[in-house]
Amino acid sequence: MWKFILRRLLVMIPQLFLLSIIVFMMAKAMPGDALSGQEINPRANPAELDRIREELGLNDPWYQQYLRWASNAVQGDFGISYTHKTPVMDVIEDRLWNTVFLALVTLIFTYMLAIPLGILSGRYNDTWVDKTVTGYSYVGFGTPIFIFALIMLFIFGFALDWFPSGGSVDSKVDEGTFAYVVSKINHLILPALSTALIATTSTIQYLRNEIIDNKIKDFVRTARSKGVPESKVYSRHILRNSFLPIAAFLGYEITGLIGGAVIIETIFSYPGLGQLFLSSVSLRDFSVVTAIVMMTGFATLLGTLLSDIILSAVDPRIRIE
Amino acid sequence: MTLLKVDNLKVHFPIRGGFFRSVVDHVKAVDGVSFELQQGETYGLVGESGSGKSTTGKAVVKLNDVTSGQILFEGRDLAALSRKEIKPFRKDIQMIFQDPYSSLNPKKRVLDIIAEPLRNFERLSPAEEKKIVQDFLDKVGLSPESIHKYPHEFSGGQRQRIGIARSLTLKPKLIIADEPVSALDVSVQAQVLNFLQDLQAEFNLTYLFVGHDLGVIRHMCDRMGVMYRGRLVEEGRSDEIYENPQHIYTKRLIAAIPDLEPEVRGDKVKLRKKLTAEYESSYSKFFDENGRAYDLKPISSTHRVALL
Amino acid sequence: MEMKVETGKNIQVKDVSPSGMKIIWQEIKKDKLAMGSLIILVAILVFVYGASFFMDAKEIAKVDFLSIYLEPSSDYWLGTDYGGRDVFGQLIIGTRNSFTISLFITLFTAIIGLTLGLLSGYFGGATDNVIMRIIDFVIALPQMMFIIVVVTIVPVFNVYVFIMIMTLFLWTGKARLIRSKALSERELDYIHASKTLGTPHWKIILFQLLPNVSSLIIVNFILNLAGNIGLESSLTFLGFGLPESTPSLGTLISYARNPDVLENKWWIWVPASLMILVLMLSINFVGQALKRAADARQRRG
Ligand SMILES: Nc1ncnc2c1ncn2[C@@H]1O[C@H](COP(=O)(O)OP(=O)(O)O)[C@@H](O)[C@H]1O
Ligand SMILES: [Mg+2]
Repeated sequence: MWKFILRRLLVMIPQLFLLSIIVFMMAKAMPGDALSGQEINPRANPAELDRIREELGLNDPWYQQYLRWASNAVQGDFGISYTHKTPVMDVIEDRLWNTVFLALVTLIFTYMLAIPLGILSGRYNDTWVDKTVTGYSYVGFGTPIFIFALIMLFIFGFALDWFPSGGSVDSKVDEGTFAYVVSKINHLILPALSTALIATTSTIQYLRNEIIDNKIKDFVRTARSKGVPESKVYSRHILRNSFLPIAAFLGYEITGLIGGAVIIETIFSYPGLGQLFLSSVSLRDFSVVTAIVMMTGFATLLGTLLSDIILSAVDPRIRIE
Repeated sequence: MTLLKVDNLKVHFPIRGGFFRSVVDHVKAVDGVSFELQQGETYGLVGESGSGKSTTGKAVVKLNDVTSGQILFEGRDLAALSRKEIKPFRKDIQMIFQDPYSSLNPKKRVLDIIAEPLRNFERLSPAEEKKIVQDFLDKVGLSPESIHKYPHEFSGGQRQRIGIARSLTLKPKLIIADEPVSALDVSVQAQVLNFLQDLQAEFNLTYLFVGHDLGVIRHMCDRMGVMYRGRLVEEGRSDEIYENPQHIYTKRLIAAIPDLEPEVRGDKVKLRKKLTAEYESSYSKFFDENGRAYDLKPISSTHRVALL
Repeated sequence: MEMKVETGKNIQVKDVSPSGMKIIWQEIKKDKLAMGSLIILVAILVFVYGASFFMDAKEIAKVDFLSIYLEPSSDYWLGTDYGGRDVFGQLIIGTRNSFTISLFITLFTAIIGLTLGLLSGYFGGATDNVIMRIIDFVIALPQMMFIIVVVTIVPVFNVYVFIMIMTLFLWTGKARLIRSKALSERELDYIHASKTLGTPHWKIILFQLLPNVSSLIIVNFILNLAGNIGLESSLTFLGFGLPESTPSLGTLISYARNPDVLENKWWIWVPASLMILVLMLSINFVGQALKRAADARQRRG
């Protein structure tokens, strides 16, 4: 097991290296100097232009530029945001926390929906309960999140006006107060619920199938034949075995949420990393874009790593491969 | 005339492990096996499952890489040839597989299945091809209309016949039959076996017959080799080995054949007990300190046994 | 005994092919939901491709400041947008563009995924190792962000470039799926048999292996097609998908990023949203029905 984790970590080193090279190359391909956030005015006179380029190290060979950028990035220095005129990390920090909060609440909702529905559907499979839940999963599976989120926003944000339709906190409340926390949560519910209602469907189906498969396994039959009551058969035997693979998907789930953040934050005008990413792309603030891509890339690699490790703990066969 | 001579064949599969997935050990599936097949004879390889019989057979048709040793077919060493160089020999050496379900492509019609080797080696018009395929179907006892059907429309025995027809189309000299009947119902086993013998006479075939059932091997084979953990432990004429086994493993194999007559059942149980005792007491007579069988030593002009 | 049985029913079961369109059709016919979905899907596509043939895309794209944000009427069946353009016309053209482009993306990813997946699974070893490492890496990227960045930095951007960029990031799942199937198929004796019969590798891959992964490919193709419609329209919605010259369903929905449109001008974004939902769900239902059938067949053996 430890060997697997170590090996898996070792695999990540070239992956990270490759990721940073790709992000670096994308940054080089962006107009301006995305690495430091300096804007180069193309109309400046050639001598002046050259002086700036020299100063920014743009005339160095690419690997020197890469090394400089990478070593800075490791220390959390991604240059200056040219729209905000502050270090990129300062721009990112608040937004990052907002995204983390949103992801956390979404995860909680996802599992709060998936676990009871999956269990119901699996335990009473082929009853009307199961058919309803399965029907919901099929529809959810085929529904793009941006459309569902728009509809949710339209109904609950505008038509019914139950929830705020944008932002992460009411600007009228003061930081640190109870009202502030309530307002923050209030802003999270709609985007988190919209994502969870769609994202949960694959987990529901997985849990359901897992339970149905476990129901007919020998250890369950043995327990039943020994007269263990049905509810105990579930809590002790079936569920324990069905939950492990679900837990393993946590990492992939996080990976998915990072990707989905761009859409959901845009729709709910939620000031997180995804929204910052989009607005920075639109404003051509490429040092911010580079930093976000690098960070989310790293986070996705970590999420995949996490899932691979849990999965291998659950199912040793995977380790062999 | 010697058709096939396998000399000190070794097939070792690497086991990867450790930190860098390096090769940490080997499964010695076949570990120094030598035998010869005379033109026209049937040679049996018998042994419990996992003893390396199939691996030996597959090495001859290059489905496995050979670690070391020679496979001389009509004097040419197949083990030393590349995949390309082996191609002409494909016509001469064919294989019948154990599982009639997985050995026929489920998405192919019988015509395409049986004609596959023909298409690789000969240029035939569709009509000629069809004619040949139907002839072979007839030979294996299936109706000519079968060519348009798919494998799932046949029983296990019929499928095995299709596989046999496929292996015959190129008029091979040597056929490796890897447990050709062990996946079939007992009721059709004898049928297929007899029919393999008829074909042998008709096409002048040489068989390398792999099996775990000593009864079947004895019925089919002129000579046989007994395999155990990748090594031959005894070799000789079938009747010799059956009537006068010398190696403890062979003895136990024969004693393990289930008996139908109730009166001898009690004797069998006693015999097995006795052999187990012998196995334990005289282990070192048959196996070295690593549990590896010794090299074969002749005890008569036809009979060889792995003894100290 | 067994021979008698087979001469009897020889002729009547002559052409029951275990693969191909026939089987698909039979599976769909059995499933009411799938059948209904297919009918709706075909009806929409016939109508959309037919109607767009008679429509003048340039005329529809023309801005008319005299008819901004009109509600649905007999002139404009679905009203107009902020540029006074006919929403119904845009819906038809958008549906056509979204579907066509997603189809091509699915097709190209299928070709790449199939080729690499089959090679990787069939040969195994070093080939497999290299391909799998690449797949592991690409799959672990935050795809949407990467697509958006690449879309912004490419020097020329048009529909073809967009399709290429999407293909670049989306082939991996398919390759992995097909590879694992090929990996298990190649251990079966029919592949071994082909080798001993002297069939060259490329022929074994194309004519022996490929037919046995075909149902997997078809199911995956259909499900991916639906997914790609969603992804393409999401990207266009965000403003990084199809270029403006090629309006898609996402373009219409993106107007709803303006809260006023979202709240008060439903006719602009609701029809396009419904269109995407109906397309995606009906394609999905057909795909799921086939998937269930394929899984069941597998289980039966
Ligand atoms: N491709 C392979 N890789 C690793 N081990 C193998 C492979 N093929 C066979 N073996 C191992 O070699 C041994 C002999 O197998 P096999 O020749 O199939 O035995 P038999 O046909 O006598 O039952 C077994 O222990 C088996 O697990
Ligand atoms: Mg075998």
